[in-house]
Amino acid sequence: MKINKVLAAMATLIVAGSLAACSGGGGSATSHGSCTNKITKTSAPVVTMWAWYPNMKLVIDNFNKAHDDVQVCWTNVGGGKPEYDKFQTAITAGKGAPDVVMVEADHIPSYQIQGALVDMTKYGANDLKKNFSAGAWKDVSVGSGVYGAPIDGGPMAMIYRKDVFAKYGISTPPTTWAEFQDDAQAVKDAGGPVFADFAANAAAPLVALESQAGAKPFTYDSAHPKSIAINLNDAASKKVLDYWAGLSAKGLVGTADQFTPDYISGVIAGDYATYISAAWAPGYLQGAGVGKGADADVWATAPLPQWDKSKPVQVNWGGSAFSVTSQAKDPKLASEVALGVYADDASLTDGWKTQTIFPLNVNALSSSAFVDLKSDFFGGQQANKEVYIPAANGYKGLTYTPFQQYFYDAFTKQIKAINDGTSTGSQAADALQADVAGYAKDQGFTVK
Amino acid sequence: MSTTRVSPRPSRLIAPQLVLAVLVIYFLIPFWWVIVNSSKDAQALFGGSNALWFGGNVDYLNNFVQLFTYDGGIYLTWLGNSALYAFSGGLGATLLAVLAGYGLAKYRFAGRRIGLSVLLGAVMVPTTALVIPTFILFAQVGLVNTTWSVILPTLLNPFGVYLMNVYARDSVPDELLDAARVDGASEFRTFLQVALPMMRPAIVTVLLLSVVSSWNNYFLPLAMLTDPGLYPVTVGIGQWQSIASANNSGGVSLWSVIILGSLVSVIPLIIAFLSLQRYWRGGLAIGSLK
Amino acid sequence: MTTTVARRRATAVRRGRPSTTRRQNLTGWLFVGPFTIVFLAMLVAPLGFALYLSLFQKGIIGGTKFVFLGNYAKAFTDPDFLNGVGFVIRFSLVLIPLQMAISLAIALLLDVVTTRFARFARLMIFLPYAIPAVIGALMWGFLYSKNFGPLSDIFGAFGAQAPDFLGSQLIFTALLNVVTWQWAGYYMIILYAALQGIDPTLYEAAKIDGASQWQMVLRIKIPLIAPALVLILVFALIGTLQFFNEPQILRYLAAGTIGPDFTPNMYAYQQAFALANYNYGSAISFALGAVVFVFVYIFLFATRKRGGFLS
Repeated sequence: MKINKVLAAMATLIVAGSLAACSGGGGSATSHGSCTNKITKTSAPVVTMWAWYPNMKLVIDNFNKAHDDVQVCWTNVGGGKPEYDKFQTAITAGKGAPDVVMVEADHIPSYQIQGALVDMTKYGANDLKKNFSAGAWKDVSVGSGVYGAPIDGGPMAMIYRKDVFAKYGISTPPTTWAEFQDDAQAVKDAGGPVFADFAANAAAPLVALESQAGAKPFTYDSAHPKSIAINLNDAASKKVLDYWAGLSAKGLVGTADQFTPDYISGVIAGDYATYISAAWAPGYLQGAGVGKGADADVWATAPLPQWDKSKPVQVNWGGSAFSVTSQAKDPKLASEVALGVYADDASLTDGWKTQTIFPLNVNALSSSAFVDLKSDFFGGQQANKEVYIPAANGYKGLTYTPFQQYFYDAFTKQIKAINDGTSTGSQAADALQADVAGYAKDQGFTVK
Repeated sequence: MSTTRVSPRPSRLIAPQLVLAVLVIYFLIPFWWVIVNSSKDAQALFGGSNALWFGGNVDYLNNFVQLFTYDGGIYLTWLGNSALYAFSGGLGATLLAVLAGYGLAKYRFAGRRIGLSVLLGAVMVPTTALVIPTFILFAQVGLVNTTWSVILPTLLNPFGVYLMNVYARDSVPDELLDAARVDGASEFRTFLQVALPMMRPAIVTVLLLSVVSSWNNYFLPLAMLTDPGLYPVTVGIGQWQSIASANNSGGVSLWSVIILGSLVSVIPLIIAFLSLQRYWRGGLAIGSLK
Repeated sequence: MTTTVARRRATAVRRGRPSTTRRQNLTGWLFVGPFTIVFLAMLVAPLGFALYLSLFQKGIIGGTKFVFLGNYAKAFTDPDFLNGVGFVIRFSLVLIPLQMAISLAIALLLDVVTTRFARFARLMIFLPYAIPAVIGALMWGFLYSKNFGPLSDIFGAFGAQAPDFLGSQLIFTALLNVVTWQWAGYYMIILYAALQGIDPTLYEAAKIDGASQWQMVLRIKIPLIAPALVLILVFALIGTLQFFNEPQILRYLAAGTIGPDFTPNMYAYQQAFALANYNYGSAISFALGAVVFVFVYIFLFATRKRGGFLS
């Protein structure tokens, strides 16, 4: 009968499928799931880890090679939000989280307050305190506890296209936001591309730009976790949002989401004269294919434009840490991994050479090779010495909330409203304040 | 029956065929884009001039190698997982549906009427509304992030039961069953030897529908699984897209891999549909027959 | 037709044999049992559990507390949730008639045109059904990208600006297109099969009466395939109200346009998995399930005379 043939064929497929499921992939089918890296020392205990640094494979291999007592099983489950969604799901399930997780510093309080992270001071974290600046250490601390090993920071600067600047007669990069706008207008008037991108999915850098103008969005002290002061619609925030809303309304900046294939195509094609971004951007852009083809040797970087040239303020976007989750089977061993991975010279050097990370480890920061690095992406420019190190040194830190994801999502909505022309910058700031304060109250906080 | 059908003269068929040709182009455009662009490397993808035609160097081979070796060849694992979930879930759901549909159609047992109306209600419960509570329920019993967490919920297919019920009711005559019983066959034997062969078109249809829906499932495995080694291909490619969107594929242009991965992932079902045409074509309309 | 008669006769015969009731009971339940277990475990239990969970609230501060219907009161005053509901309702109102009209038109066309090319076309139009929604959305997402996809080339050739299908104005159309592309072929096949099932002598008779092609379509074909139309309507309704996959995937390309609260399902996912508010997420899931259930039931009740679905 024909039907039997069909069923037999399907049964064969199932068997084939299950075989493939068992044998396929490089990962071993043990209790720790599948690893992207290959573990050669199979007898050592394994610590699982999620991270999304582009050079992570090399970093893990370096670590595993140097350690006989522990091996890291690493997977990349997505950068930023996709990973956070997975981690949050695993927290809810009480199962499925890795032992060590890569978390941006601004998200640490969100997980710490849920009891999802382990305080690493019990496992010798404070011994490493001397390797980091006070600001970097504060970013991973909640109260007296340390909930992450700082890896990299994101001092912000203005990456720009030399070819576009030259073509439209901009001889020196703008140093203030007023000049930035004038240059943008000049390029547009001459029929050039937009000057930058004001993307709805890039809320975090916008928070940084607000703080550059003096905004203090949150005041939160983990010693009094129940109360939080929210100040998202002060004069400084409104000034920054109105500024960008103005650029957006005049068509001086693009409004496309960043990091999409369409955006990357645009970046390569020279559709954006500048990219207001962090020190890690070159590594990520190159990973996506920027700076390799027609747009090789057109990139340069300059300090972030200022509101007041006489009182420059430096800000930061991104930067991550490795945290130990409370689902870790052996928190001590996991802490050893969190504090040891990406801390060796070889990995750090690879990271900053490719400009994938801007290291926070002072040993790397002060090495002359790092300081004097001639960046390939920036055509031999000494980007660290000229731009990123001063920016990092001037950064004073920012306070994050225990509901950072909600805040960013709410901000994304407001940026969208600005770009659609349905909201002015000030209106967006007011709406954001109401939205976030409402959520905080709903979550049980006393909002000041 | 098409011989008795009123067939317009060929000359009048040109216009409708042109309409059909336009439709075919529309329905195939995404496939065409994927086929063309899976031949390109990152530079051709992002800097290429013509998105609907091949670039300078057609490089399927390199992209294939990338696809099947990236992350230690995890793509193959995903395909295997998809097959496992689709067929075990699909076969299981079909088996349950055949039994239950036949039982509801042919036995007047206590609770049958209420069962039928509950069933009809269940057809209308959106399965995605069940995902979050099922996840939390599974979390309590430690089932999340396992193969079972994807297969077990897939076994539920009230619509399949409904289809089998309608079909068994209408196309398996009671007289035949009674005759088998008179001959001394047990109830189960009667079902296996008399009813089952007659229900074949509906079985293939239900099987196909449930295999397709579990092969295409995204929300359920997305919520249930955290281990990439357990992902089906839909969730896997979705994750690659998110990784590529964060621009951190570590030097590999993930977009080329994603595009080729999308293409490869749709091939098995397309082959299944093309080769099983004669089984599903009639069956899909069963639910609407009275 | 004949089976119906046979069935009636069989039922009549059975009524005369009450002695078999116990055996009927036992065997009936044996057949239905396995499914019933799955039904209880995978549908009733989660729904009950969702209902239970939805009665509590868990804040970051203050832990879990019983709020009874508080989450529902919150949901139905939560603008994010209501916007999502509003979107899927608007979307359904446009999508379903459009999809049905397109699939019906193609089915009618294919019913008349029986060339080899038509058979090929039928298969090609059906093909997207075999594509996972995720992959379909991904492919269209590439095509919608102005620079990355072909739009810039095509519109540039005419000296025009490419439209932004991922922007606020066109996202509705963009999603409409993805879903129609995906499902129209499947619905078309259902309708086509129903059309093929119509007794050809009806056409002969109509022709003798001097009916035109159009009259045959309106008077014979459409009324006779009404049950199939109802079936695809129900499919489309259930499918649209639980909209998730396509916008979730396109979100990676347009996070601003497609917020995490774009559809109720996405909002429930966001609440439960990104923000850890799984009590609220459960309430939204349950409310959504209940709303869909009631909608479809009312609809089926209203059309029960014409359709075969509730018979």
